[in-house]
Amino acid sequence: MSKIDLNNISHSYNPNDPNPVYALNPFSMTWENGKRYAILGPSGCGKTTMLNIVSGLVRPSAGNILFDDKDVTDLKTESRNIAQVFQFPVIYNTMSVYENLAFPLKCRDFSQSKIDERVKSVADTLNLQSFLNSPARKLTADQKQLISLGRGLVREDVAAVLMDEPLTVIDPDLKFRLRRKLKEINEEFKTTLVYVTHDQNEAMTFADNIIVMSEGEVVQAGTPKELFERPNTTFVGYFIGSPAMNLFETEASSNDSVKINDTIIKTNTNLTNLKDKKIKLGVRSEFIKIADNQKENLIDVDVDKVEDLGNYKLLTAKMGNFTIKSKINRETEVPSSNVKLHIPAEKCCVYENEKLI
Amino acid sequence: MGKLYKFLKYSFITIWTVFVVAPFLWALTTSFKDFNSVNGGATYIPWVDFEPKLEGWKVLIKSPANGGVDIIEPYFNSLFVTCTASLISIVLGTLSAYALSRFTFKAGFVKNNDITFFFISQRIMPPIVLSIPFFLFLGAINLLDSLIGLIVVYIVLLMPIAVWIMVDFFNKVPREIDETALIDGCNPYQAFFKVVLPNSVPGLIVAGMFCIIFGWIDFFFAFILTFTEVQLLPVKIVALNSSITPWWSLSASALVSVAPLIIVAFIVERYLSKGNLSGAIK
Repeated sequence: MSKIDLNNISHSYNPNDPNPVYALNPFSMTWENGKRYAILGPSGCGKTTMLNIVSGLVRPSAGNILFDDKDVTDLKTESRNIAQVFQFPVIYNTMSVYENLAFPLKCRDFSQSKIDERVKSVADTLNLQSFLNSPARKLTADQKQLISLGRGLVREDVAAVLMDEPLTVIDPDLKFRLRRKLKEINEEFKTTLVYVTHDQNEAMTFADNIIVMSEGEVVQAGTPKELFERPNTTFVGYFIGSPAMNLFETEASSNDSVKINDTIIKTNTNLTNLKDKKIKLGVRSEFIKIADNQKENLIDVDVDKVEDLGNYKLLTAKMGNFTIKSKINRETEVPSSNVKLHIPAEKCCVYENEKLI
Repeated sequence: MGKLYKFLKYSFITIWTVFVVAPFLWALTTSFKDFNSVNGGATYIPWVDFEPKLEGWKVLIKSPANGGVDIIEPYFNSLFVTCTASLISIVLGTLSAYALSRFTFKAGFVKNNDITFFFISQRIMPPIVLSIPFFLFLGAINLLDSLIGLIVVYIVLLMPIAVWIMVDFFNKVPREIDETALIDGCNPYQAFFKVVLPNSVPGLIVAGMFCIIFGWIDFFFAFILTFTEVQLLPVKIVALNSSITPWWSLSASALVSVAPLIIVAFIVERYLSKGNLSGAIK
């Protein structure tokens, strides 16, 4: 359990090349003790590289890592006291489940009684008690992943538990329970958990803080609410939320409003310096509603389709070349013509060069 | 369909079994025959077609002074040379294979794959190319006609097999296993000995089996590098032949020489059928 500081970390797998390709562009970040973090991003965006740098499997090309203000950049993996769980179950085939769970403690010379106690407790948490004496290789894939997870959680004093899409192979019901379990463990033991995923729901429900990455770059780090309401870039707006954020290519028409087709949309952003520049307006489909008695920020649309998705309806509408999606209540009836949608000014995000203003 | 398939399957298995077992049975019966039973036309069933004699077997253990050939000493020489050379090859081969699989080497244009190929190329080369260098080399260090000299030569022959099999095997053992061991607190040596090696037992067994087979059956180097002090089994068996071919003792010696390999095959088969060779993770 430590505070982890990443200072100006960057990494390239071919640093000596004249044109090195960076798997991870320089970034700095602090992971507070006892919090839950999710690293979210598409495949190949540098998530795993980031974890491997923290666990010491990869030495960063530049920058340094501090655990509780102590520089560990040159410390080997085995001396860092970190736990890491990989995407696919990694078990020690020749050992029993008990021996697998006890291995991290044995390697660190814990006493037998302490090992017993910890293994029992972790096995209880993960429902593995009845398998403790079976050979680990005889278990099913998700039980094996539980062992991997258990090995990550068996030490109480780890600096952090890093998990690289650990629940991919686990079936949905168990996945849900495990995620809750991990939250409980975090709350009870104040273990710093770092969770890599490409599933935004997983990230949103699990983490206090989400780090969104794209092409080796940390695009935005913040609470789920911040990421949802004020995405830093159009990528975050697109990647987080389902459906993705509505984006309109447009230009500023006055100090605070933009023009979509011929309609003026007011925003709460100061656009004085952006007149006649290409900008994008982003609004979450959750915030766009069918207008009842609003006077401003209304757009006329043609309804394309309405899909009933169980707990809400998804309205897809056309306005010239633009497609607009809006999440509306199931009970709301959608008129077939003359539909006006309301875009609230305070929920408008304006992007220049894909970055939030 | 099902019946036809079953019929074809069992017919094939039967034919194959006969094909494999017949030479052994033939050698076994022949080893109990004498000159007349071999040369007086084909005979098959003991006590009916011919009277079994132990002459073929007795010759093998009698000393030359008593008209025998004494294959016992060469037999143990062969066992000793094969086992020692195999063991050393496996140990060295496994260590180098692990290094080649997990670390990146670079010396000019030579990279990991080139080093691996260098090892394998030692087996691609016809052995006869090596005969003169080996002869001169062993002569220079006074190891011609000695067990140690043979072991040295056999290590050169067997280690490439071990490296080849084990590199491939280690490449299939996911790196995450090593990484997990490091994270769990092992240093790289402990990770290798406590985690990777126990997971690689199937590979070690296969590599060991190949080393033992190739070591045991080698005739060429045993023939040119030994003379009177030390003899290995294949050379001794060939030396049994004379102007009147002693089929009975040749058969008997063929059987005893193939026996260790059959034992190895049975042990490995047990191991293979347990499914222990299946994937280490997932």
